[in-house]
Amino acid sequence: MGTAEIAVRRRNKSERLGRVGRLAQGKFVSSKNVPDLLKRIIEPGDILCLEGDNQKQADFLANQLASLDRKDLHDIHLVMSCITLPAHIQLFKKGMIRQVDFCYAGPQGTAVADLVKAKKFPVGAIHTYNELYARYYIDLTPRVALIAAAKADRKGNLFLAANTEETPAIVEPTAFSDGIVFAQVNEIVDKLPRIDIPADQVDFVVEAPYPMHLQALFTRDPAAITDVQILMAMVALRGIYEKYEVQSLNHGVGFNTAAIELLLPTYGERLGLKGKICKYWMVNPLPTMIPAIESGWIERVFSVGGEVGMERYTAARSDVFSTGRDGSFHSNRAMGQLAGHYAVDMFIGASLQIDVNLPGRKLVVQLVETFQAGRVPTFVEELDAQDPSIKKALHGVAPVMIYGDDVTHIVTEEGIANVGACRSIAERQAAIRAVAGYTPVGLKRKKRETEELRRRGIVQLPEDVGVRPSEATRSLLATQDIKGLVRWSQGLYDPPAQFVDW
Amino acid sequence: MTGTSLFHEQTARQRIAAVVDAGSFVELLPPPERLTSPYLAQLGIPVSFDDGIVIGKAKIGGKKLYIAAQVGQFVGGAVGEIHGAKLTGLFKAAARDRVPCALVIESGGVRLHEGSAGEIAITETMRAIFECRAKKVPTIAVIGSDIGAYGGIGILSTCCDFRVMTEHGRLGISGPIVIEKWMGKKAYDSSNRALVWKTSGGKTKYLLGDADALVHDDAGAVREAIGKLLAKSSPVTLKNAKARQAALAKRLKRFGKTENPDDVWKGMGVRDIAAASLASGPEFVALAKTGRK
Amino acid sequence: MEKFAKAFPSKPLKNTAGKPWALAGVVGSGNLEVLVERGSRPSDAMECHIETSIPGYKASWLAALADFAHHYPAGGTKVTINDQGAPPVLVTLRLRQAYDHLTKGEK
Repeated sequence: MGTAEIAVRRRNKSERLGRVGRLAQGKFVSSKNVPDLLKRIIEPGDILCLEGDNQKQADFLANQLASLDRKDLHDIHLVMSCITLPAHIQLFKKGMIRQVDFCYAGPQGTAVADLVKAKKFPVGAIHTYNELYARYYIDLTPRVALIAAAKADRKGNLFLAANTEETPAIVEPTAFSDGIVFAQVNEIVDKLPRIDIPADQVDFVVEAPYPMHLQALFTRDPAAITDVQILMAMVALRGIYEKYEVQSLNHGVGFNTAAIELLLPTYGERLGLKGKICKYWMVNPLPTMIPAIESGWIERVFSVGGEVGMERYTAARSDVFSTGRDGSFHSNRAMGQLAGHYAVDMFIGASLQIDVNLPGRKLVVQLVETFQAGRVPTFVEELDAQDPSIKKALHGVAPVMIYGDDVTHIVTEEGIANVGACRSIAERQAAIRAVAGYTPVGLKRKKRETEELRRRGIVQLPEDVGVRPSEATRSLLATQDIKGLVRWSQGLYDPPAQFVDW
Repeated sequence: MTGTSLFHEQTARQRIAAVVDAGSFVELLPPPERLTSPYLAQLGIPVSFDDGIVIGKAKIGGKKLYIAAQVGQFVGGAVGEIHGAKLTGLFKAAARDRVPCALVIESGGVRLHEGSAGEIAITETMRAIFECRAKKVPTIAVIGSDIGAYGGIGILSTCCDFRVMTEHGRLGISGPIVIEKWMGKKAYDSSNRALVWKTSGGKTKYLLGDADALVHDDAGAVREAIGKLLAKSSPVTLKNAKARQAALAKRLKRFGKTENPDDVWKGMGVRDIAAASLASGPEFVALAKTGRK
Repeated sequence: MEKFAKAFPSKPLKNTAGKPWALAGVVGSGNLEVLVERGSRPSDAMECHIETSIPGYKASWLAALADFAHHYPAGGTKVTINDQGAPPVLVTLRLRQAYDHLTKGEK
């Protein structure tokens, strides 16, 4: 039975490849033949994977796919990390998709919400990245995967450059299950700097007429860091990093964590913490880490992806970053997520909303201001994600990114709530209210409860961890602008044009 | 390396406090006087106790001066009726008392909500500036913030004896967005920050002779530059005006058709554009020395 | 715009002599200015006048001001605020800065 099934799958692949005929020369397809080729290699009912996370996108292939008609492409079970491009939305609008399993919607959030309302978004499940990648190996193995690489050689080997991202996590399960791997590349060359994906796992290659979509998504301009974020960063450094002697960490990518990175060589140095904390990092090569790296704080960084402009810097600091034989930066989203989950002392970052009904030992720290832009409170009695209409549209799935059980500490500009140490749900709620500031949730706090939690160390105000709020000013940052980062990097960091004013 | 307070990030009050001798500043019409704009209040726009400009008397290195600093965060530092009256009054006092006057600029020009009053105030201030100059009382404009000196305030700054700039400061008449609107994005892309700063920023203005000093983005450096200029004055004579006119005509002929601001830098003797782009204040001046004679 | 005023119980300001006023912050997007003036005689109330461009947050304002009056001896002072949408944490921060300037003399 088993052998017969495998034979079927293998035979089916060779049938598909047989239909391609003269549309490809060996593995190589000219860009004008891509739509026809896609029609011939994809069948109704297929699980189709389209590479695209928040930074890197197989956008040429996505556009070609979206240019097809429903008669050529339908009943597709789409699996992909992020619904990011207008082309992705087109697939749904044209009614090509039977089911979608994905992680998040990013810039197409509103468009996806409209599709949900119009009942044109047949969602299977919403996953974390690694849940989805894991399912590629088990029950969501792609029959066809459309991926993106920087370069290919004449044999079809692929070079992924700094943004390896999720390519291996898609290619391996597909290639080893008789699926078809089709790569768009920016350039076909005679010799690759290094081989990231062997030609053996690649069926088709097209040199795209434009380079793949790549965003400098995590570049935080120090000029936009506020005094309030600096206050939170100081509180976190003293009350969490210093207190627990955090050695290895999975760092967020917001302005709050950027502030922490820029405080290490100044405030952190003054506290005598250098060499004692923050040595091993799982985070993208963030420009705001440059001063800490240059000051000798950081031993090693492993990343899920690259960051535009950091290529020369990361190559020059190969003692800190993961680099290939060619000397250039390497990343891996699946492995980075694993490392960030299992190999670190602490995860610290910010999510959009925190549920006050946190039911719930690694440190999982949420770093949030009590109010977001436009005075939207961060603390709410019930998450928008738990809204019955959203839940119903998503078949009962609530898109919660981090569950309360997992969070150990919440840091706001008002202080730290050690929710992991709370004895009851009621106590946990009181601790959250104590640091929720003047949001409607925070206004319900009772002075006596807060004082009691403070006495027990479950709630700590800035002064309790030795931070004077009046000290929290931008002058504490190692540098206050992008140009300063370039100077710290000794000219090795090449910021994208939108950040350059010189 | 540790962080410092950057001049362009300081508030008007912080700038004055950091530039003048410690404790020497005496504010005129201070906040408790509550001289706020009645027009903004009518329009439901928040008002400010100083109406966007802090004025007073102080000392630098023991020498008396009048000093004003605009508040760029408050309606773009734009000049309304009260703001304008404070500005005019300060320069008139400088002329009357024969005390040098420095203006730390951060303004896009006239406040649209009270335009006529603003226009009149700016022209009256120019008149007071020329009165100072006729009496050889030094007037100094400091342009060191991202908002820069535009519109009427841009013109006003060029009426002063001297302009001190930092690389953050910008000087012009029409702002980048306005230029783009009239000339098209192809002619001038206002979202191209590098282009904007290379055409109107402190470094280019220094190279072309529109700024007399280019200093670090630091209150201490600004203080030193003002201190050096307090004893000098640049007389307004027909000869000087004609020489300036000739210099501008020459500049127009030389660079009028230039599309890339780097070519202006090269033309003015900057050899290493990349290094000069990263350099600040005196470092840049050293790199540009050959061209600006 | 929304305007309101309220006095909050607070221990009298320690020194009655000294700087007559102090100001912190600027009126700009997401920011505010706080003027703290010393009263002529001791009192056990901090008198507050607020003008804000974002209506509907009176409860947050009053709670933040009450907490400040509770934590710091500010009785006898008059606090006037021009706000352009600052978050509550900035209200507390600026109040504290202005208060420090007033009570510590320099800056």
